[in-house]
Amino acid sequence: MDLMCYSVPGDHFHYGRRKALLALKGRLNFRLLTSMAFLVASFLMALLPNLANADSFDVPKKVDSILSSYCYSCHDADTEKGGVRLDNLSELSLDGRLETLNRMHEQLYIREMPPEKKKAQPSASERELVMDWVFAELEKHGGSKLEDKLRYPDFGNYVDHDMLFSGDIKEAGYTPERRWLVSPQIFDERVKDIFQLEGRDRLQALYGITNPFMLPERSGVRDYDISSLDGGHLLMMLTNAEWISQKQIRAARVIKGELKANEFPNPKDRWAPRQTHPALEVIILKESTPTDDEIAEAIQAQFGLVLDRPANPKEIEKYLALTRSAIGLAGNSEGLRQMLVSVLLESEFLYRLEFGSGEPDDHGRRILAPHEAALAISYALGDRGPDAVLRKAAADGRLVTQEDFKREVERLLADGDYYAGPVDSGISGKNMRSHETSHPKLIRFFREFFGYSMAAKVFKDIERSDGYYLNPSRGTLGTPGFLIKEADLVVDWYLSRDQNVFENLLTTEDFFVYHDKDNETGRQIITEWTEAYHRLKDTNWKEDPEGVMDEHQEFLKSKKSLAFMSHHKQRREFLRHMYFWGETIGKGRTPFTTVSFAHGYTYNHSPFYNLPPTPGIFRYGEIENKNFKGLDDIEFWDYPVEQPFKISNRKGILTHPAWLVAHSSNFHTDPIRRGRWIREKLLAGRVPDIPITVDAQIPEDPHMTLRERVESVTEKGECWKCHKKMNPLGYPFEIFDDFGRYTRDEPLEYEIHLVAKAKKKNGASTYKTKPINAMGYLDGTGDPALDGEVSNAFEMIDRLAKSERVRQSIIRHAFRFFLGRNEMLSDSRTLINADRAYVESGGSFKAVVVSLLSSDSFRYRKPVE
Amino acid sequence: MHSRRDFLKQSMLGLSAMGFVPGLFANNTRGQAPKRFIFIHKGNGLLPKVMAPPTLSEAEAGMEERKEAFEVSLCDHDLPDWMSALNEHKDAMTILQGLSGKMCTTGHHTWQSSLGVYKANERLSSIKWATVDFELAKLFPSPLEHIELACFPNEGGNARGNIEGIEKGFSARGPQQPNYAFGSPKVAMQELFKSVAGDKDTRVQYELERKVLQFAAQNQAKLGGSLNGIEKTKVANYADSIEAILERNRKVEVMGDVIRKHLPQMDDKYFSENLNTIDRQKGFTEILLSTLISGMTNVVTFTADELGTRYTGITDIETTNVNLHDVGHNKGVGPFTAEEVRDKVRRHHMDVVDTIVSRLKSVPEDGGSMFDNTLLLYFPDNGETHHSNGAEWPFIALAGSNCRLDIAGKYIRLPGYGQEGHKTLGNWYTTILNAYGNPIEHYGDLDTGLGKYGIDQTGPIRQFLG
Repeated sequence: MDLMCYSVPGDHFHYGRRKALLALKGRLNFRLLTSMAFLVASFLMALLPNLANADSFDVPKKVDSILSSYCYSCHDADTEKGGVRLDNLSELSLDGRLETLNRMHEQLYIREMPPEKKKAQPSASERELVMDWVFAELEKHGGSKLEDKLRYPDFGNYVDHDMLFSGDIKEAGYTPERRWLVSPQIFDERVKDIFQLEGRDRLQALYGITNPFMLPERSGVRDYDISSLDGGHLLMMLTNAEWISQKQIRAARVIKGELKANEFPNPKDRWAPRQTHPALEVIILKESTPTDDEIAEAIQAQFGLVLDRPANPKEIEKYLALTRSAIGLAGNSEGLRQMLVSVLLESEFLYRLEFGSGEPDDHGRRILAPHEAALAISYALGDRGPDAVLRKAAADGRLVTQEDFKREVERLLADGDYYAGPVDSGISGKNMRSHETSHPKLIRFFREFFGYSMAAKVFKDIERSDGYYLNPSRGTLGTPGFLIKEADLVVDWYLSRDQNVFENLLTTEDFFVYHDKDNETGRQIITEWTEAYHRLKDTNWKEDPEGVMDEHQEFLKSKKSLAFMSHHKQRREFLRHMYFWGETIGKGRTPFTTVSFAHGYTYNHSPFYNLPPTPGIFRYGEIENKNFKGLDDIEFWDYPVEQPFKISNRKGILTHPAWLVAHSSNFHTDPIRRGRWIREKLLAGRVPDIPITVDAQIPEDPHMTLRERVESVTEKGECWKCHKKMNPLGYPFEIFDDFGRYTRDEPLEYEIHLVAKAKKKNGASTYKTKPINAMGYLDGTGDPALDGEVSNAFEMIDRLAKSERVRQSIIRHAFRFFLGRNEMLSDSRTLINADRAYVESGGSFKAVVVSLLSSDSFRYRKPVE
Repeated sequence: MHSRRDFLKQSMLGLSAMGFVPGLFANNTRGQAPKRFIFIHKGNGLLPKVMAPPTLSEAEAGMEERKEAFEVSLCDHDLPDWMSALNEHKDAMTILQGLSGKMCTTGHHTWQSSLGVYKANERLSSIKWATVDFELAKLFPSPLEHIELACFPNEGGNARGNIEGIEKGFSARGPQQPNYAFGSPKVAMQELFKSVAGDKDTRVQYELERKVLQFAAQNQAKLGGSLNGIEKTKVANYADSIEAILERNRKVEVMGDVIRKHLPQMDDKYFSENLNTIDRQKGFTEILLSTLISGMTNVVTFTADELGTRYTGITDIETTNVNLHDVGHNKGVGPFTAEEVRDKVRRHHMDVVDTIVSRLKSVPEDGGSMFDNTLLLYFPDNGETHHSNGAEWPFIALAGSNCRLDIAGKYIRLPGYGQEGHKTLGNWYTTILNAYGNPIEHYGDLDTGLGKYGIDQTGPIRQFLG
């Protein structure tokens, strides 16, 4: 391999750095790593005879001299900064030494050491020499951790951003061949495929199925190809397989008389497919032992249903033996069922296999087999397997070229039905449903990228929210559930317009709040309510509601939203509506189009957008009570029927309460986490892991704001080295409190500052406040015109939205989402093309998806050795 | 090179050849016996006011009323009448009051909350980590690791009605991994004791399962054998897990003689279709004892009832189908007030506890009895009452002489919610875990509402660690 091919003449530093990156870029390409190790070791053996003996350890003189010039001053016995000492490597145990060398390797790789502020910096060749030596030492013991780390989501940004987008990398893109664990959603769909469910039948939850998969709870791309099956999955699969197989054969067993039609082992679980697959039915209905051919047919049927492929002759042979012996032991039905269970337990059912087929090309890559390609495309755009057209394209040999991929991806993106469904049925509960859309998976990318769905994981003290915040509980995700859905709606809105998607999502001032009906329906209701209120307000409705209802019966009946009120039985409803309208329409405000006294009403969260509240569920509970003295005067929200609508003091998803809550703690905001999010997600930057020796807590101090408390503990010495990458990017969000409310002052929530105790149940007490300081500093955009001081989140967001690096960083995350892995240097062309597609299409995200899903990185696989 | 499977195979052969097996898992008369844990939880809350000894002095009663910390020796006091079945065990008994659990889901149904100390609900994603019983099971490994038995709710709650089958239970193996519990003595008997079953059908079923697992293990092992690196791991983990289940089954098979010796003492009625709730509890108790005594497991979690459990068989109202939810709303049954019905339900629970403790005391172990190495906890799954908010979470503990907690023979009231020194369910489980060898800094979520009182919520309850 010609390592020089990536070098820029005269740029020795880059050569050295690229060489090291190249050694790591292949992640799984151990052949490359091994050969690199061999090359480096050979080189060093010639240079440094001491290294020839793998059991001895000595720091070569040249390396020692470099370490002595640049490292020991901070990392020797006297200083030992960060708990790291480098002058005694030969005295350490092997484990201890490998641990330290790994830390050195990582720090050198990401150029964190020596620190920038040190005037004395090693030359490119010195740095290279040390890195090569460290790498060779680690490889000698198979102890290098960096390449493994680079596979994990947290290390995605370790591949240098400038280099990825420089255009200098010419290597052809590919993905290492792999098994990719199915996502929870794909698992659900695969189970439904076994029962061949279609249409509405696919929407039902299957009683006996426990989804063995859950994606990691984190803000960022969640579904990577690095997970493997374990014992937990197996235990759930054993139960699932038992249930599925029982249901698969039930219909045939009823025909045979082994079960009565109304006989269910569990009376609450009466669902079963109407038919058993004919190949299985034959065996169950047969009185005698089935023939080999019949069993083979049944095996083929189960392979088709479960694994979506035919069994090969060897598999038939194995399964035949098993089935025969099981039938011999327990009879046809129960024996056959053991075969069904066994196929269900194949690990292949739970993995997506992508190995490529045919002869390797000049780069050693193989194109995805047509069947694999169809699955890869379909699972990238949704959770279901391929539709008929895609299957046919695969079968007809029309899923090979880049154009083939483009054609199919564009077709499926234009298809509004095939993947349509709720964005995330997991947030649906007894009082709220996730909204339906044509391509839930595309929304899911932005959801994971922004990480706002993590709001459901943060529990809050209700009293601090003045009683408005509802924590997730049984059957509901409470306030965060609503907030997540409303952020989904914003994403969906801009995705469907598909112009300047990233910029719009970062800077929009238009939001959806309480939007549970489409605009037209909302308008209709308000028109009817307004007409009704004005017609009835001056009648004798309080004293004689029945009379008024009678008198205006025809009118009420003629209005869709009021027709139910025409009967005397609805007296209470009528009165409640009149009171409700009186304090909204009557005061010139538009009421929310769902009445607060509706069963299970839980819309309480408008205050988290700094909007006035809407009436609570109990507000009109006493109106028929003879002691009712009228309603206290509250200013309710003037509800905007047309949505999205402009909200002041908000700018984009990063100021959406869902995002702010998701990136807050139980008790307060979290400028460190928010800053880290900006650094990693938008600026493609890196923040090292928290050193294990650090156990920093934000100190309590009743006289300081949270920012001041954070500053007091993070700006000290060593801490600032990492925190300067986060805090200045996170502080601008201090204009919002931890519930996402815009604020200028921070209450000092300590007993000594108490001004007034709460006046209502679950109400907030009033404390003295201190003004917010939201000044921050943006750096790392790579554009001097954008970097610099910012006075608050709005100013920072405006600058971020103009940054090329931010756009490219989002593209990198989209790559990870659709490819299920971190990018390597060899993906450079794929990323540049996707970025170009976005720019040239005027900011179309669909153009990015088409570009990524037809790229070499998506289409080619390379063997892992 | 030997694979793990080879090793396991050979070690099992060696084990049998040495004739070592019966003493390995049960009647351990030499060396260190394992510690055992029994968690029994109930629905509908456990009212703090029924927990205190009736013989407290006026001053103590005042502190009890104000929920201030104090403790008294149970030897100097009478137990509340409903606990009288435990009179003989007073020296080994603790009544613990004052813990709170507002970080749990409270109210009607609580899923894994009371054992996991987080807000669990019907969504598997709400299971944040392994429940405390599973953490203890890891410390004291056994062939079956952990067994969960449950009088499931007939309606509502986490199981939707299949009280005779195997359903997601109230414990969790790990994050997002619910455990499965046996819903009837019959199904528990079939599943747990199938390796020593006498009837042909169960034997055949057992044989079929073995075949399938063996087939799957070989299949996956072969697949893994042809792979490298991480791809190998992706398949090998799975193959090893199947092998581990086979291995577990083998261990149980090897224990056949011991298990047969300690088979549950099952009355025929425990298998009947019209099993009443009280007999269901008794049947489960026999199974619980058998699995512990034979050494199949060291940890059993038993849901004595849940809010949605429809009760039958309660003393004096045996044939009435009692709706526990109504009782929670203070509705009486027949001539009895809701409080009296609650009392009856708890008395049945105490009979179960007495049976367990007495039986374990009768099994010799390590120069003492099996009870010496056992810790039993009885507690509500949702705190202090029907519509609870977790302000209190009463416990009864029974622990033998080798217990590593310094709590025996006392009524202990810890400082009430918000008072200085207040402790939570998380502190209590941290104490137990620390005492038995898990050094975890704090087990469980924190209570977002306790912050304002300036109480340090983390760590064990030091005075219990002796």
